[in-house]
Parts: sequence; structure tokens; C-alpha cells
Amino acid sequence: MELNTIKDAFDRVTKKQKVSSSKSQETIEHVTQEIERALSRIQSGTSQPDCNSILGELKTKLKEMVPLGQLEATQKELNLAMTKYTKLLEKQFNPDISKSYRNVDFDFHTVNQIVASHLYREGMFDIGDCFVNESHEEPVIDKKTHFLEMYQILESMKSRDLGPALKWATANHEKLQQNGSDIELKLHRLQFMEILKLGHRDEALKYMRTYISPFSNHFPEIQKLMACLLWAGKLESSPYTELLSPTHWAKLAHELAQQFCNLLGESYQSPLSVMVAAGVEALPTLLKLANVMMGKKQEWLSMKQLPVPVDLDQEFQFHSIFVCPVSRDQASEENPPMLMSCGHVLCKQSITKLSKNNSTRPFKCPYCPTEVEVGQCRQLHF
Amino acid sequence: MDPLPNGNNVAAAPPPPSSSSSKLTESLKLEHQLLRVPFEHYKKTIRANHRLVEKEVSAVISALPHSADHDDAIHHLNSLVSRLQGLKRKLEDGSRAERLQAQRCRARLDHLESADGDNISEWNNTRLKRILVDYMLRMSYYDTATKLAESSNIQDLVDIDIFYEAKKVIDALHNKEVAPALAWCADNKSRLKKFKSKFEFQLRLQEFIELVRNENNVQAVIYARKYLAPWAATYMKEFQKVFATLAFTSNTGCEIYKVLFEPKQWDYLMDQFKQEFCRLYGMTLEPLLNIYLQAGLSALKTPFCYEDDCTKEDPLSQESFRKLAMPLPFSKQHHSKLVCYITKELMDTENPPLVLPNGYVYSTKALEEMATNNNGKITCPRTGLVCNYTEVTKAFIS
Repeated sequence: MELNTIKDAFDRVTKKQKVSSSKSQETIEHVTQEIERALSRIQSGTSQPDCNSILGELKTKLKEMVPLGQLEATQKELNLAMTKYTKLLEKQFNPDISKSYRNVDFDFHTVNQIVASHLYREGMFDIGDCFVNESHEEPVIDKKTHFLEMYQILESMKSRDLGPALKWATANHEKLQQNGSDIELKLHRLQFMEILKLGHRDEALKYMRTYISPFSNHFPEIQKLMACLLWAGKLESSPYTELLSPTHWAKLAHELAQQFCNLLGESYQSPLSVMVAAGVEALPTLLKLANVMMGKKQEWLSMKQLPVPVDLDQEFQFHSIFVCPVSRDQASEENPPMLMSCGHVLCKQSITKLSKNNSTRPFKCPYCPTEVEVGQCRQLHF
Repeated sequence: MDPLPNGNNVAAAPPPPSSSSSKLTESLKLEHQLLRVPFEHYKKTIRANHRLVEKEVSAVISALPHSADHDDAIHHLNSLVSRLQGLKRKLEDGSRAERLQAQRCRARLDHLESADGDNISEWNNTRLKRILVDYMLRMSYYDTATKLAESSNIQDLVDIDIFYEAKKVIDALHNKEVAPALAWCADNKSRLKKFKSKFEFQLRLQEFIELVRNENNVQAVIYARKYLAPWAATYMKEFQKVFATLAFTSNTGCEIYKVLFEPKQWDYLMDQFKQEFCRLYGMTLEPLLNIYLQAGLSALKTPFCYEDDCTKEDPLSQESFRKLAMPLPFSKQHHSKLVCYITKELMDTENPPLVLPNGYVYSTKALEEMATNNNGKITCPRTGLVCNYTEVTKAFIS
């Protein structure tokens, strides 16, 4: 796409518009002047025939001027520039991105619920409330209160207050451990370093004993922190300066949000953001497809599977998909992927075909010289 | 059948993914509406200003008297001069509007230009907000739309003022009034004609129906003569059908005529208006949000999304998204794409899949790490099976 060409075309429109607009002003000015001149002549003279002849002159003069005719040329140029710009936009962009849209039942209540949840989970609580109110949807109270708590914790962390975060981590101690998260320790470590930064060695030691020592399985970590105690007051010149880095705050806030969502049973990223981002990547391919299938409306509407793959970034790859290299079928429960003794993988149906449905007769792997027996093939779980 | 070399190589790689910059360009090409809508607005203002000049100047010229006595002439010419001065003032206001709208067009061009690799996540974020504001405006959630735009400082990138123009008409139709809608039709007469829009005719039909409902039969006939007859040639069938309601009246049991008196006709008019309005401004007829959601749903929908162990990160693990995806087709894959259950990373040549004795597959990275941390022992997270790292075998996937 050539944005510069587009910008040039737009500049041409504004230039012509300025010319046309000053021309209009000028024309009005001229007409006004002519009338005013006639006016002053009438005012200075008094006789009736004079007056009529002045009016007659004015009329002919304005007729000769063809004031509107003067505007025509500039207006024409402006129109041309505008048409050109519109055409250019149509050429450079996808003029109708709804071409691949299916007019199926797209329940707006469901979409509204998704939007409301999105606004809450992105921390836009006022806007979320306003949306629920204006759309007359059922309020999504759960989402709101949960994420409200999360954003309060994150806000406090922004102002360097770990209190709410630690409170949350302690309350969810069991669950966090079950998930294999060490965020609680990380929060305590940060708090410990904050105390130490202020030079309160005794207090730091006390904190260590009360809150950190229970995490005895993280022994190396604790040792390191204990060593920091020796450097209290001159941490900047210690081997542990890395622990002072402010990036820990940002990283920990990120991790906390992740764990918080995890415990709520929510995805870390807003599902709406993910879906729209995937849509942006997929739409160009789908539009091309819709163009190709333009004449086959019925086929387009009734298809059960897209006829072409839509390449998305890896971040949208949520599932393992196995496509049999022989049959090109997607593996399924009825037709699972099977590992042959040579290490190559095919779908079950392809193996059945290759072995001619005879489970005792060995067959050659399509990809290597190995002779494979059906009995030795193992089902895989991705 | 693709050739696949034996050995430790996973071959038949999928075509190289298009580079991120061309992906960005492709996504920018979807932004036609972003540039088109403010330009249509700009054009409209330019045209209105021009028409004003034409109308006033020709009115002044034709109002010039041929002859008049002295005082009359002075009086008359003075009034013409002040009329022209009024026009000048109006034009100055008009120019101000033109300038603002040109600025808005330019702001959007700059916004498109600002999208590059460095700020892309922020840019994408803004895009989602633009899409949401567009959705809210089309759904007539004006307050939320304004709030969201203001809080994100994207007023120049969304079309709130344009939709406020629609609001008046929609509100009126909601109250079963057609006058603002008819005025809107008159304002946009030539363009509606170009699109062969039927909207004005439909409004007229509704007015006629209302007269019949109130049993103003004589007036209904007069109305039909005046406002419906000009359309009759183009839409004879509908004209005849609606005209027949005079015979059936509003309490008819006859189904074809009964529906014409139902209140949902007004909702239909409202939808019709929204469509015409969007068409006129070069907007998509569907909200952008729905378009992008549908595309995303089609691309992400796989049979695995509907299984119980679907990961939470997949939006299709949620009931609401599943519901929307129901009537849409599944996505298609030509090549295997395997994601490690443990690390969620792609299993490819760099990080090949390994098979446990029980047939469960994980990435090399995940199993290596597990083995190093547990003295060479592997525990299958899904079945609990414990085995040695030496027992795992390679699988060759194409």
C-alpha cells in the first residue's frame, strides 16, 4: 500500500478545495461591490430615470459577469480530485471487508456480554458499567468484582505497595502451590528487599524469619537473600544489585495478573482481543476466498469446513492438529494418529489401507524402507 | 503423498509464513472505512457550502429590480447587500467545518502511517477500541461510545459526530415519527437515488398505513396520490399491496395485510435506515466487530475447541464464543501443527516431539527439563506414568 500516494491525492483535494472556497468568497465580494457601487450612485443622484438606468446597468453587468459560471471551473477540478481520491482509496484498500461475512444468526446479546466482560477485564470499570446500563444487558457482576480486586492489587503495586498483593497470595497459598507457582515467595522477596533498601536490617531479618523461612524448599533463593543482609546499607555495591532492579516490579505485576486469571479460571489475555486479532489476520485470506467463490453463494453458506487453510501466528495455535501426510485428513477420535515402528506417523485409516486390512501382513512405510506391522503401531496422544 | 526423508528431519515444511511486515500491510488494507467515512463527511460539507453559494447568489441576482422608485431601490439593494453579507458569514462557518473535517481525514492517514513494528501492540489495542466504538455507535450506545473514545483519546479516529446525525432519525422512528427521516432523505436525495434506495418509498408507505390505521381514508387517498404515485411505476406490487389495506382496514385477519400494521414494521424501517446511512458514508453494513469476530471464529474453530480439556487461552473454550461460532465452518489445516501440552510451544524441527511409552507426546524441551530436574525421570502430566528419559522415542511428523 502506498500511503504517500494517498496522502498526495488528499493534499490535492484540500488544495483544490481552498482554491474553490476562495473563489466563492471572491465572487460574492464582486457581486456585493457591484451592488454597492450602484447603490451609492443611486444615493448620490435623485432623478427617477437615472435610478432605473442604474438598475438596468447593474443587471446587465451582473449578467455579463456570470458569477456562478466563474465558480464552475474550480468546482469541477475539486470534484475531479475528490473522485480520484475516492477511487484511489477503493483501489488501495479492501473497499468492502464484509464480503466474507455470513448473514447467520449472530446474537447481539452474546456479543454484548462478551464486550462487557472485555471492558471489565481490561480494567475499564466505569465504561463497562455504562455499557451494561445502555445496552440493558444483565450485569456481569462476577467478572467485575473479580477483576476489580485484581486491578486494585496492581494499582497498589504501581505505587510500590505490596500489601494487597501479599494478602491475596497468602489467602490463595494452597491453590498457588498446587499450580506450581512461586509467586508468593517472589512477593515476599520483593518486600524483603524493600525493607532492606531502607537499611532496616533487624526488621528485614524478622521478616525473613516470619514470612520467607517457611519456603524452605527454595533453599538457594533464601541463602541469597540472607547474604543480602550483610550488605544492608550498601546494597548498590553488593553482588546482588540485580535484586534491586525496578523491572522486578513490572515482571511481578505481569506474573501476578497471570496467576490471578489462572485462579479465576480465566485466560490471561482478553478472549475478545485474541479473537479480533485472529480475525484481522484471517480476514484477508477469507476475503480472497469470498472473491473466488463469488458465484457460489449457496456453497459458501453451507460449507462445513473452510476449503483453504488460514495461516495464523503461532500465538493462536491452541491445539495440536495432526494432518495425515498420506490421506491429508485431520486426525480425529475415530481416526487417530499412529506411530509406526520406524518413527513416522500416519492416521489409522491410512495404515489400514496400506496393510490392505490385513493386520498380520507387514507393509512398507511410505517414507522409509522399514517394513511395518500393524500390530506394532501405537496410538499417539498430542 | 509428499516425499519425506528418513532420519531426524521433519520435512515437508509448510510454506514459509508471510513476513510480519506484509501481514501488517494486509491488515492495514482492511481499514478502508477509517479513511472513507471522514472523507465522505468532508465531501458532504464541501457540497453543502457550494450549493449554498449557488442558491444565494442566483437568488440575489434574480431579485434585482428592473425599476423602482428611488427609496425603494435603495431599500431593496441594501437588503440584497446584507443578504450577501449573511452568506459570507455562513460560508466562513462552513469553511471552518471543512477545515476541521480535512484535519480529521489527515489525522487518520497519519494514524495508519504510524503503524509499524515497534508500537504494534499499542496500535492493535487502539484498533480494538476503534472497533468497539464503531460497534457501540451502530447499536446506539452513544454514551458508552463517547466515554470509551474520550478515555482513550481516540476521538479523531472514530465517527461519533456522524452517528449523532443518525441518532435524531433513529429516535424519531422509535417514536413512530417519519418527519426527520424524510428530511434526511431530502438532504441526501441525489445520492440515495444513485444507490436506487427504496427507503423514502418505504417511509411513505408507513405514513399511508398510519392514515389507514386511523381511518383517515380520504386523506390516505390524497396522500397516496401525492407521495406514493410517483414511485408506483418502480414498485408497483408493493404499492398495490399497501393500497389494498384501504379495503381491509387495520383489524383485518388477512395475514398479508395484517403484518403491515404490526409495530415491528417500525423496527424494520429503523434497520433499513441504518443500512442506508452506512451505505451513504461508505461504511460496512455490519459492525466491524461482527466482521472481525466472524473471521476470527472461522479461523480458530476446530473440533478440539469443543473438548473438555480445551485450554482456557482459546476463546472458543467459552460458551459465548462457542455459541457465536455454531453456524460457522471449521478451519482447515493442510499441515500438522503440534503444540506441546506442557510448554504450549510449537513442536517443530527445533523442538521435536518425543513419545512416551504410553503414546503421549511432549516436546523435547519440556522432557529434557523435566529429566534434568528429576534425575532422568519423566512423569506424564496427563496419565501419571513415570518412566526414564531413555525410554522416550522420536516421532517424525510431516
